[in-house]
Amino acid sequence: MDILISSLFAGLLIGMVLALVALGLNIIFGVMEIVNFAHGEFLMVGMYTGLFTAQATGMEPLLTLPVAAVVGFLLGIICYYGFIKFLIRGPMVAQLLGTFGLMLFLRNIALLIFGSEDRALHHGILVDKSFEMGMGVIVPATKLTAAGLSVVAFVAVWLLMNRTKIGKALTATALNAQGARYMGIPTERMNALAWGIGGGSVTIAGALIVNFWSVNPFMGLLFTMIAFAIVALGGFGSVPGAFFAGLVVGLITEIPGIWDFFTYTFNFDWMADVPMTSLKYMWVYLAYFVIVVVRPRGLFGWKQ
Amino acid sequence: MKSIVRYGMVVLGVLAVMGLLVPSAALAAKEIKIGVIYPLTGGAAAAGRELRAGAELAAKIANNVMTDISMDMAKNSGIKNMGGAKIKLIFKDHQGNPTLGADLAKKLILDDKVDGILGCYHSSVTKTVSAVCEQYGVPMINGTSTSPALTKRGLKWFWRTTPHDKWFTKDLFELMKGLTEGKVRGVKAVPKKEIINLASACEKTEWGSHVSDIIKSLAKEYGFKLKKSLLYAAKSPDLSSEVRSLKAVRPDAMLFASYTSDAILMVKTLKAQKAAPKIMWGQDAGFEKPEFRSTLGDSIVGILTRTVFLPKVADIKKVAGQANKLYKEKTGNDLGGASARAFTGLQTWVHVLEKAGSTKPADIQKAANALKIPGKELVVPWAGIQFAASGDEIGQNVLGSGLIGQYQKDKDGNLVLEIIYPFDVATADMIFPFSF
Repeated sequence: MDILISSLFAGLLIGMVLALVALGLNIIFGVMEIVNFAHGEFLMVGMYTGLFTAQATGMEPLLTLPVAAVVGFLLGIICYYGFIKFLIRGPMVAQLLGTFGLMLFLRNIALLIFGSEDRALHHGILVDKSFEMGMGVIVPATKLTAAGLSVVAFVAVWLLMNRTKIGKALTATALNAQGARYMGIPTERMNALAWGIGGGSVTIAGALIVNFWSVNPFMGLLFTMIAFAIVALGGFGSVPGAFFAGLVVGLITEIPGIWDFFTYTFNFDWMADVPMTSLKYMWVYLAYFVIVVVRPRGLFGWKQ
Repeated sequence: MKSIVRYGMVVLGVLAVMGLLVPSAALAAKEIKIGVIYPLTGGAAAAGRELRAGAELAAKIANNVMTDISMDMAKNSGIKNMGGAKIKLIFKDHQGNPTLGADLAKKLILDDKVDGILGCYHSSVTKTVSAVCEQYGVPMINGTSTSPALTKRGLKWFWRTTPHDKWFTKDLFELMKGLTEGKVRGVKAVPKKEIINLASACEKTEWGSHVSDIIKSLAKEYGFKLKKSLLYAAKSPDLSSEVRSLKAVRPDAMLFASYTSDAILMVKTLKAQKAAPKIMWGQDAGFEKPEFRSTLGDSIVGILTRTVFLPKVADIKKVAGQANKLYKEKTGNDLGGASARAFTGLQTWVHVLEKAGSTKPADIQKAANALKIPGKELVVPWAGIQFAASGDEIGQNVLGSGLIGQYQKDKDGNLVLEIIYPFDVATADMIFPFSF
């Protein structure tokens, strides 16, 4: 029983962090209808930022979040004004290939600067600590904190989008850019802001994730794929949808644990021989595929 | 008299002219190019640095007279039977990628015109590179890849000096058997039922999946119960679901085959999840790297790793101590399993070339098949090097053997690997049971 509870718990916790990873992608798509293939690379930038800031300053890794947020925000703005702004004038395929190129560019720059080695954080008050939650559930302190801070970041973005003038301007741009322009909303600046917020939220997620996972220049693609699955499941453009879908995808990555529970509960020998852990990300991609085919606008999607 | 003097002068003059011309052509020592393919970047870059340093040290000893090293190759400058020809190493980086490894091997053979290949650490890369060597008829010596399948393909141009995973894994089961029989130094006989349940987690490339299969068959043979056997992606950023899966079967012993970054992540996750097996054993590779020790610190005390070399070997073997001293001066670290075997790999090349007396592939092939290096020449604690020329493991060194070490703290509080198995050369009492 304890494996089921601890797997579900771990799935929910990691789901909250994955939801934050997908949030940036969701905002950018929601506002501009552009799919950012370089999203995972933004996450990688956030991870390196958190890692090196903590290592260089000896700072507690969790305190590097504001630095990562600023770096991500600026990266988003620079990408928009230096690159995306020109790209959106072209056809859809140019946008796809353009952000794909941005992905390759960021990845190779990271490879050039940091090398291909895996790097991980080994200090910090939470690193290597864990809590016993009872029922055999043991939760690493870093993951629990990251999940908590992800929820905080999520709520902050939701408030920004729904309770401020800027948020309303962003939503207006998303719904009807031409109409928003007539109302005096500087849509160009709103687009840049969407990239800034998108970049900032994903680099915060990166600085949280680096507390328990290692980073290398090639890790972006895995997260881009996971983020796509979350956004597709939750619905393009929906902030609460991204959160809910994040939790679902988090639980999907824990299918091996749930499988183990049934294996040991019912004592099925054949189940023990299925290499579930080798296939753990396969289920995420399968869910992505099914959602895209069955319900293309996702569970909470509001954009056609 | 005058004519004799004149005659003598002419002869001297001719000799002088010959002296000026000849050495630069016919007598100049030939250079022998060995292509060395290792993972110099990527997840196994730390191992790559060790491998490179090991091979470079062996080349240095072979190319210079070093009287303080009691090895045959240290007595001469270069290859004596080839007029003192020097060994030149050309390093290439395969990044752990089998396809890239094969491309690099082709480049080394066709562009650099190497006389032979040494490499490649990852069994998956060794597999593709050796296939290229077979295709072009270029000899390859492998010192560090331990997938048993590599020498079961009947290749004519491939020789492996290291013992392979079946032998190493068998050592572990012998140790466990020894535990139940009270043969382990410092541990009273443990009832078998207390260590009977096993769980294994191996990375899922060529090497790890083979180790996983070997563990399965040996567990059966030795009467242990393998409750869980899983494969995971070595580059996975997270191993927590794998660890929970292992923990769920409450194993008495956990067995791993991991590279460096995943070995570190695995142990960190096990510790965070408060997993508590009585025995933790790693199949060398990641579990033996300096990074594993420096990153995880005291939490690895009690972890076992199979290896072919430990600094402690230097205490029981003179030549190992001498080489270790030079290696430590060069890198700041002691020789480890990877570096000692890379050293031995290149040393084998030197002996093969010395015996062949030429760089013609056919001569090298003949020399390698008839080679016999006595154990006293080697830094590793083996009986020697002699390749099987027939049977189902052609090209495999039949005189190799393994060690099992355990991380312990010495008197000064430093982490050291003590020899636990073979029982007759154990350097310390075993810590049992293991706990974080």
